[in-house]
Amino acid sequence: MTAILDVQNIHKHFGQLEVLRGISLTANAGDVISVIGSSGSGKSTFLRCINLLEMPDQGSVSLHGKAITLKENKKGERIATNAKQVQELRTKVGMVFQQFNLWAHLTILENVMEAPVRVLGVSKAEANDIAMTYLEQVGIVDKADSYPSFLSGGQQQRVAIARSLAMQPDAILFDEPTSALDPELVGEVLGVMRKLADDGMTMVVVTHEMAFARDVSNRAVFLHEGLIEEQGNPTDLFGSPQSERLQQFLSNTVY
Amino acid sequence: MIELIPDWLGNWLGQDGLDTIKYLTNGKHMAWYSSVKFTLIAAVLGGVLAVFFGLMGAAMKQSKIAPLRWIGNIYTTMVRGIPDVLFLLFFPLALEQLAELVMAYMYCSPEQWSNATGWPVCREAQWLLSTNEYLLMACLSFGIVFGAFAANVIYGAMQAVPKGQLEAAEAFGFTEKQILWRFQIRQMWVYALPGLSNVWLLLLKATSLLSLLQITDIVSWADRLGAPNYLSMAGLVHPDWRWKYYLVLFIFYILLTMISERFFAFLQVRASRGMARSN
Repeated sequence: MTAILDVQNIHKHFGQLEVLRGISLTANAGDVISVIGSSGSGKSTFLRCINLLEMPDQGSVSLHGKAITLKENKKGERIATNAKQVQELRTKVGMVFQQFNLWAHLTILENVMEAPVRVLGVSKAEANDIAMTYLEQVGIVDKADSYPSFLSGGQQQRVAIARSLAMQPDAILFDEPTSALDPELVGEVLGVMRKLADDGMTMVVVTHEMAFARDVSNRAVFLHEGLIEEQGNPTDLFGSPQSERLQQFLSNTVY
Repeated sequence: MIELIPDWLGNWLGQDGLDTIKYLTNGKHMAWYSSVKFTLIAAVLGGVLAVFFGLMGAAMKQSKIAPLRWIGNIYTTMVRGIPDVLFLLFFPLALEQLAELVMAYMYCSPEQWSNATGWPVCREAQWLLSTNEYLLMACLSFGIVFGAFAANVIYGAMQAVPKGQLEAAEAFGFTEKQILWRFQIRQMWVYALPGLSNVWLLLLKATSLLSLLQITDIVSWADRLGAPNYLSMAGLVHPDWRWKYYLVLFIFYILLTMISERFFAFLQVRASRGMARSN
């Protein structure tokens, strides 16, 4: 079985700062991978490299075993050889952002329909049905005709998840999905994510929610200074951390 | 016109009042009123073109393709520096003569070229602009001049659109063109409208320059009607009344401004839908 996502040896620097120094990760169907680590460890940058929102300096990204071909342009920047290939990657791999990033000028329903209609070319009627199905799944059907700014953070994030699901992706990347939420709203979003995991969705989740990482994911990856310091089964990782840094990190983290 | 006034109103107005109405509705005055159409057409068409040029200019200014970016920047920098009066004088003339030059190359024989003592080279290469053509030229000039201001306003507004939402569009596989037109430009209006309403009011006022292009617009008519009027049969009908006619134009423009503000307030409400938590 080929992996859904396979990223190898990702390097990324911003100016002088080496943010990622060679990270590899493979996600098979049904995997729920938590990426943890302290601020500045490169978690979010790594996630953004997976769907090429950040272009890695080195390394490869493969979807279903097919690598996205990258080349260097005249200025020496890496760019994708084929825009269609990147588009395919992005339609197959959804993303949920820390700040939700719902489109403010569209209603909730339009937010969820927009990409299926305009990117995938699904008919409006069909997209409407798909959108309503997923809005129901995340429990926001009654807000379908509201604008995002009228929703709470937790509701917006659930819509963002529905927006991703409406593309019927093979995997979804979550970039600290609960970090911008008031504490009492975290639960409703994690609940939706937990349900997704149970339904077999392949997920890569950058998170500070250690309980979620421990209880829901089947693999946890601890990043430190741009490298994978330790990874494995969450029970082992949280139960008996091997590296000193992970021990330190876990002892400083309340969960 | 005067026949339409019912008797009771006529009695109330008296002979002087009726005479005044008669005077204000004579042929020349009616022509003055109908010349408002030039002003309105120039403003509306000029405004539409200005928004069009503004969108194009702004899109070019943020293009990834360097030459397009240069064109966008040159457009906003240079055209904004040219006085609108000068551009209005220059552009139709330059375009007319350019067209005549092209026509001369197409239609004039070599003998006509060698015998030519002036301009145009031959009769076929002469383009005498009609009022409508001049009006179109004026609209284009306004569009170009005020489009440069609009481009700057729109460009600034485009930068104010939250980056995260554009990134989300990118992450969903939208193309750059779709992101520009379906997200960035859709959302920038709420930030651009206050600036665009300024540009619109400047354009509206610039329509008083139409008479520079031989268009008998409201200003030319006010000039003519207000000038001292002497008839050999009747003597001096009225002295220099231009200030009265100009005063009417002041009021006309102020009214247009007030209507514009209402209109922009309406647009702002529409553009703000969903953009901010309203109370």
